[in-house]
Amino acid sequence: MKLTRRNFLAWAGIAATGAIACDLFDDELRVQSPALIPEDLVKGRDNWYATYDPSVPGGQSILVRVMEGRAKKVRGNPRFPTNQGKQSAAADAVLQSLYHPDRIAGPMLRNGPRGSGRYRAIGWDEALNRFRAAVDDRGDGMLLITEAQCAGFAHICQVFAEAFGGRHLRYDGLDDSAYGAAVQDVLGTTRMPWHDIAHAETLVSFGSDFLSTWGNPTAYSVAYGKFRSKEHRGRHIHFGSRYSLTAANADKWVPIAPGSEGYAAMALGWAVATSHPESSYVQAVTGEAGPGALSGFSPDAMAGMLQIPEAALDGENINRFFEHLAHDYVAHGGLAIGGGGEAGAYSNGKFNASAALMLNYLLGNVGKSGGMQPDAGAPIGSAPRNAPPATLRDWRQAVSEINAGRARMVIVHNADPVYGLPSGVGIREALSNENLAVISASPFLDETAAMADLIIPDRAGLENWGDDAPNPAPGYKVYAVQQPVVNPLPDLDPRSFPDILLSSAADLGRGDMVPAASYEELIRANIAELGADFTEALKNGGWWDEGDTARGADPPSGLLDSVAGMASMPQVQGSGDFQLQPFAHHTLLDGRNAHLPWAQSTPDPLTTVAWQTWVDINYTQGKNMGLREGDVVNITTANGSIQALVYLNPASPPGIAAVPMGGGRQIGSDYATGRDARESSNVMSILTVAEADGSGGLAWSANRCTITPANDSMPVSKLEGGYTSREVGAHPAEQVFKSVTDGEGH
Amino acid sequence: MPPLPPTRQLIPLAIAGFAVTAIVAFILVVLFMSWFSNPPFGWGNAPDQPIGFPHTVHAGSAEEGGHAIQCEFCHRNVTTGAAATVPAVEVCVICHKQINGSNVTASAREQIEEISPDQLVDIQRVLDRHAESRPIDWERVHRMPDHVRFVHEAHLRFLTQGEPRTVTLPVGDEKPINLPVTVPEACSVCHGDVANMEEVQPQQGQSLKMGTCLDCHRENDVSTDCTVCHK
Amino acid sequence: MPNAEFMHKWGMVVDLDKCTGCQACVIACQAENNIPINTKDYFLQKRAYEWIRIERYWEGEYPNTKARFMPILCQHCENAPCEPVCPVYATYHNEEGLNVQVYNRCVGTRYCINNCPYQVRMFNFWHPNWPARLENQLNPDVTVRTRGITEKCTFCVQRLRRGEIEVEARGGQRLTDERITGGNYDPACVQACPTNALMFGDLVDDNAAIKPYFDDVNANPGHGEHDRVTRGYRLLEEMNTRPSVIYLKKVDQYPLASGGGH
Repeated sequence: MKLTRRNFLAWAGIAATGAIACDLFDDELRVQSPALIPEDLVKGRDNWYATYDPSVPGGQSILVRVMEGRAKKVRGNPRFPTNQGKQSAAADAVLQSLYHPDRIAGPMLRNGPRGSGRYRAIGWDEALNRFRAAVDDRGDGMLLITEAQCAGFAHICQVFAEAFGGRHLRYDGLDDSAYGAAVQDVLGTTRMPWHDIAHAETLVSFGSDFLSTWGNPTAYSVAYGKFRSKEHRGRHIHFGSRYSLTAANADKWVPIAPGSEGYAAMALGWAVATSHPESSYVQAVTGEAGPGALSGFSPDAMAGMLQIPEAALDGENINRFFEHLAHDYVAHGGLAIGGGGEAGAYSNGKFNASAALMLNYLLGNVGKSGGMQPDAGAPIGSAPRNAPPATLRDWRQAVSEINAGRARMVIVHNADPVYGLPSGVGIREALSNENLAVISASPFLDETAAMADLIIPDRAGLENWGDDAPNPAPGYKVYAVQQPVVNPLPDLDPRSFPDILLSSAADLGRGDMVPAASYEELIRANIAELGADFTEALKNGGWWDEGDTARGADPPSGLLDSVAGMASMPQVQGSGDFQLQPFAHHTLLDGRNAHLPWAQSTPDPLTTVAWQTWVDINYTQGKNMGLREGDVVNITTANGSIQALVYLNPASPPGIAAVPMGGGRQIGSDYATGRDARESSNVMSILTVAEADGSGGLAWSANRCTITPANDSMPVSKLEGGYTSREVGAHPAEQVFKSVTDGEGH
Repeated sequence: MPPLPPTRQLIPLAIAGFAVTAIVAFILVVLFMSWFSNPPFGWGNAPDQPIGFPHTVHAGSAEEGGHAIQCEFCHRNVTTGAAATVPAVEVCVICHKQINGSNVTASAREQIEEISPDQLVDIQRVLDRHAESRPIDWERVHRMPDHVRFVHEAHLRFLTQGEPRTVTLPVGDEKPINLPVTVPEACSVCHGDVANMEEVQPQQGQSLKMGTCLDCHRENDVSTDCTVCHK
Repeated sequence: MPNAEFMHKWGMVVDLDKCTGCQACVIACQAENNIPINTKDYFLQKRAYEWIRIERYWEGEYPNTKARFMPILCQHCENAPCEPVCPVYATYHNEEGLNVQVYNRCVGTRYCINNCPYQVRMFNFWHPNWPARLENQLNPDVTVRTRGITEKCTFCVQRLRRGEIEVEARGGQRLTDERITGGNYDPACVQACPTNALMFGDLVDDNAAIKPYFDDVNANPGHGEHDRVTRGYRLLEEMNTRPSVIYLKKVDQYPLASGGGH
């Protein structure tokens, strides 16, 4: 009961009619004096602690305001080199996972059929005994499935699984393995390169939504702000098939056919080479063959594949258009970014990503300020290089191992493949196998955790030790440290999952095979290995070495041939009038934040829709189909059908049906599940199980679908239209949104 | 003269009359309580504390058998932040690991004799709490409404620092005070003579209504902007 | 307690050219200011609480469509239309240029909401409710507003007060841009904004980064707009509300449907 003026009066009145006592305010009037003198428990004083949030794309170092043992606010860590004091909406929302009403309070044992979600509470002793017995008994058939976080946590999981003869799989709901494979081929590293947007003069992006969910969007946004505020304002051109947040912010958006980002990059490469034939960079990439080596990729030869609308070409023919772009913009301080994310999720994803990477070599910016900076390597040498996240191929193998009885136990932690993989993979059916032991260490129930026989809830991020090697790192080695800043609330009894793994290994006689006795000890050892002071590293949020970023300036030999050899248009699955383009939701991401009320209630930047799953359909095309906003439509692919609400988007290209991920959760918090199937659906479930060439990743962008009205409609919960100030500017004489062209009024 | 209505007809009238009286009385009681009720205006008795803490013994003057510990020794945040803060159990133990029934050192011996058996029980409770790392749930005596921000540090700075000057504060008996004063003297301006209270009474030196705050702010040329105190 | 020695006039500059519409400010504000969870019903009833919101405008036809983002928050007008209509003096302009809402005086007439041309005042139609555990997150420096009153952006006055005590009263130094940012006294939205599209400062401080924009707009009011050297303008300038928030125009480097190039 909050004591406010109004209910104070009300309570005073009630008190007057009964016994006149102030007992009603008991709780309000109790003040706890702490047992010890920890400075964060002093009443009325706050402290800011540096820690780390690995759950957002790219990871963010944060400062948490702690007052009387409670976390109150998150802000970016101003010292940290990636996010530089800034935080995204999703990072702010991490507080709600700490104090979420639906957190699992303690260990639980299944008390009904598998998947029923019925559990009874048990003690930790019993839970750990059961866990260790299962590992001892079935360890050689263990699949340990965790989130995609790397560094120490992945190291512990990998070593633990291998110590018992099992395997560790890192689940990434935003499958980017085609990009990873391209980076491996072109740059020879498993880690993403850094794009120095802040110092670039012109930015060309290909498909990837790097201002919203791809790479490290917050770090790239910080750089984008600098890019925009330079004396010569940076210019940004975006090629993509969806009107993403990145497309919306670009000075020029060039709509292209889905999956043709690689061709767009090659066309721009052709234009750069043609307009600067003498450039040494062009010579280096083409192997002294000059622009002629790229003649097969002239824009007019590829016009049919790119399908750029006439109106987007500024009234020029397509070759002239690209030449203009290359000559006027890109050739001077140009930087190419992208090819991953939704652009990489095609059968030809590796080509799309490689072409974008190669364009940087043609522009000669690699390893330079304002250019692309290949990764300097993981900061921790003693840890094995973390394997890339599991691909579709790995998941199919895992399912067949379970079905064949070779995998006999699944341990899952903060990963939800049952929700996030297409239903055609069959992981839900595999996990239903009664001979399989399923253990979940997630702090929340989700589709995968609900299959577990035993739940041993982990601590929330801000209560736990952790570390990360941020990916992408800013061109030099960065090691991020996550320290516990608060203790769990008294009604919660979670335990650190990595510590359970380490202690269980020791108890089962494998103690010498794991790297440390506790995660904290491992982090201390890592910091010592870096030659840094532990306390300083905690205060700073980590360790980094702002060393040389110049590397990889010379293209690998045969680059052009290998990229050109991969060139192909994407294979599209199924048929229908629309290309189904799933995309990571701005705050829900792949659905991992669906239980957080702040993440759900953040309006989508472009449609301003919150809480619901919508489908972006071009305004004119939708009108012609007789659709209105809020109409329920069936989206049908070869693999199934979902429903979503129509949002008629004037910017969305015709023939594209863009649907955000993160909706349609069936199990878990009310915030994630409390809406019906018409307005909240899981687009990933209806995708066809198709692999991208050369990486084995899921080609999640490459499905055709039909859109049919369900003869039903619902109000769309959106911010737009809620304020009449939108109409204030509707008078034709008034310019609501003022803009100037470059050169006037700087 | 018309005949009196039968008794039966009077009943609804009586009920209505009783109801009106009850409602008026109710409203009066509500108004009365909202104006005078604790918190924060000091009305009612001191709450029962889980462990007896005689301010007279700890903060009282030496002539009256106290130890004259300065306020800010225990309320150690009062000179640095918004809240005065109740001390951690650890702060109690700084002294009480010496001053207790069992572990008597030479320096503490003469003081031990003054402690009553009841007080020894309380001291033992404090030591137990410390040993178990368990906090003590004190009952709050003074409380600000939750829309008010009061920064102890700023007020103490005014009263205990700066050039010598004489001011009249609209609290208590409104006698001129020569500033700066010591911290305990500054505390007593608003809180009354806590050092001589066996139990801290909700009734302080004077009522601290918003008018008191405003009078003092006006008299001393401090901003009276709403957002200075209200959050 | 503000130190009488240092006067302030707080102001903000919003650079529309840098705003990417990412919503970081929106959630930072909600976390800082104990704003109730905006449920789906709040959105459907058009009663979502957002002290700062990102308005999105569509411009042009496909494929040359542009989405324009505009963060809208209380403009802290010098001639605030909301102030004279309040029958109980619950909203007033203070010495530091803030338009203040006194929750305890407010009786919920909503006259101010109707008279605000920027639609930035919110009415509490419901009691603010959080699940019990989430209450642990509430900021103790900000009142939880009850049902039946109006609320709005305060420029995070609780942070400014903290700065005034910690830097000015105790340290005897003026709150400059660097000290505001260094001490984390910036409003939560300004602190969070990844591209630094939001800038905050003190117009009494001649070195404040936002001051040139205000000087320029004030020197060329109304129809003098074309003489301005900066991109600054005020929202609904013709209403003469004199906001303390100045917007910088979006730069169109690549004009829509033009003949290409510059």
